[in-house]
Amino acid sequence: MKIKNISYLLFALCIALPSWAKTIPDNATLDVHLELPVIETTSYARPYVAVWLENEQKKSVRTLQLWVGKDDWLKDLRSWWRKVGRNDRQLVDAVTSASRPAGKYRFTWDGLNDQGERIEQGEYTLYIEVVREHGGRNILRQKLQLFENGFSKQLKPTQETGLITLKYRTK
Amino acid sequence: MLNKKINVLAVACTMLAGAAFSSAASAHTRWVLPSNFTVSTEGGEWLTFDVTAANATFVFDKPAGSENARIIMPDGRKERPNFVLRGKRRSVFDFEFIEAGTHKVTINNEPSYFTRFKAGRRDTPKRMRANKIDRVALLPKESRDVETAVMFTRVESYITVGKPNTKAFELEGKYLELMPITHPSDIVAEEPVRLQLFFNGKAQAGVEVEVVREGMIYRNQQEEVKVVSDEKGFVTFTPEIAGRYLLVAKHQDVLVDNQFADKMMASVNLTFEAVLP
Repeated sequence: MKIKNISYLLFALCIALPSWAKTIPDNATLDVHLELPVIETTSYARPYVAVWLENEQKKSVRTLQLWVGKDDWLKDLRSWWRKVGRNDRQLVDAVTSASRPAGKYRFTWDGLNDQGERIEQGEYTLYIEVVREHGGRNILRQKLQLFENGFSKQLKPTQETGLITLKYRTK
Repeated sequence: MLNKKINVLAVACTMLAGAAFSSAASAHTRWVLPSNFTVSTEGGEWLTFDVTAANATFVFDKPAGSENARIIMPDGRKERPNFVLRGKRRSVFDFEFIEAGTHKVTINNEPSYFTRFKAGRRDTPKRMRANKIDRVALLPKESRDVETAVMFTRVESYITVGKPNTKAFELEGKYLELMPITHPSDIVAEEPVRLQLFFNGKAQAGVEVEVVREGMIYRNQQEEVKVVSDEKGFVTFTPEIAGRYLLVAKHQDVLVDNQFADKMMASVNLTFEAVLP
């Protein structure tokens, strides 16, 4: 009888607390190698770049990188501005860094959300939006299964992005 | 005798003027085109607005005025534009958008009255600018099928600085009005847009809505979307391509015991952008 009661209680707790979902491993990270290609043109401007992660509800959980110049043009990162930037000025100021010339870049995501908490395991989408004045725009979307197992993925080059490599490590 | 002649002349002139004006007012759609719908600059940015009345979407034609332009601020108060000018084929106003939130830009004129009638042996249809009281003195003898309409058009658009809000959406409760359900700054190509229509403050069924994308002369078909509001005043449509759109909503209502008009013809002309997905 007692055992049955306890199991009822556990069952009730499981229903009441779906937020018991597991977080990704403590040392899980995502390495991103991103290339901004050399583009031959008479008026080359450094592109604006936003890299962010959304959960399955299409809510942004973390802006990984934001490379911009004047904030007049923040809105030209059309998706990122609408989904993230316009809603939180402090976040924009906190993550902004200078725009970068063509070249190869590497950065690592620490597995935390914008609030500094380790995210829950699940399916996420990584967005990479690149916009260049006098030039084009590309937005890349890549689904990521962020669970216990590591993986790596490559994204094909587009007009405004070179080869992009993603490496999810959990150890 | 002379007096009578002058009178007839005056009526003719009024009718002519009425006809000329009405062709500008009714046949042409009045609209506003903002230089931008979104501001991300901290500290604000100047935007400029074109206002004209035309048959083609966002093609300048008749210089509809901007003297009545108002900006409903994110906290609900009203401001006037900083600069207003009028050219031959359009008018222009500028405003500095500093406050964060969603602004509603309106160019709403006073209601205007038009009387339609038939006169002469050939039943020629005629129009003049007159309400039911003024028309008594102006209508020729033996005018037939006399009907006076009061017309009111709202010309509007939404500008969002930083984080969007909805205070500027509040209805006046007069004539035809449009309440965004999908926030205007969240209109994305390929995603459904929902809005609600109100007439004199009440949700209105049967309002005809037509949505046309800019650049009509660069395609063979207008590709307009036509929808009619449901019993709760809602309409839903999907802009398939990113770009600027003009939405025209129209509603007619018979006026009973109204001393100035027999019917109301109300419209809302909303300019919005659908952003890239």
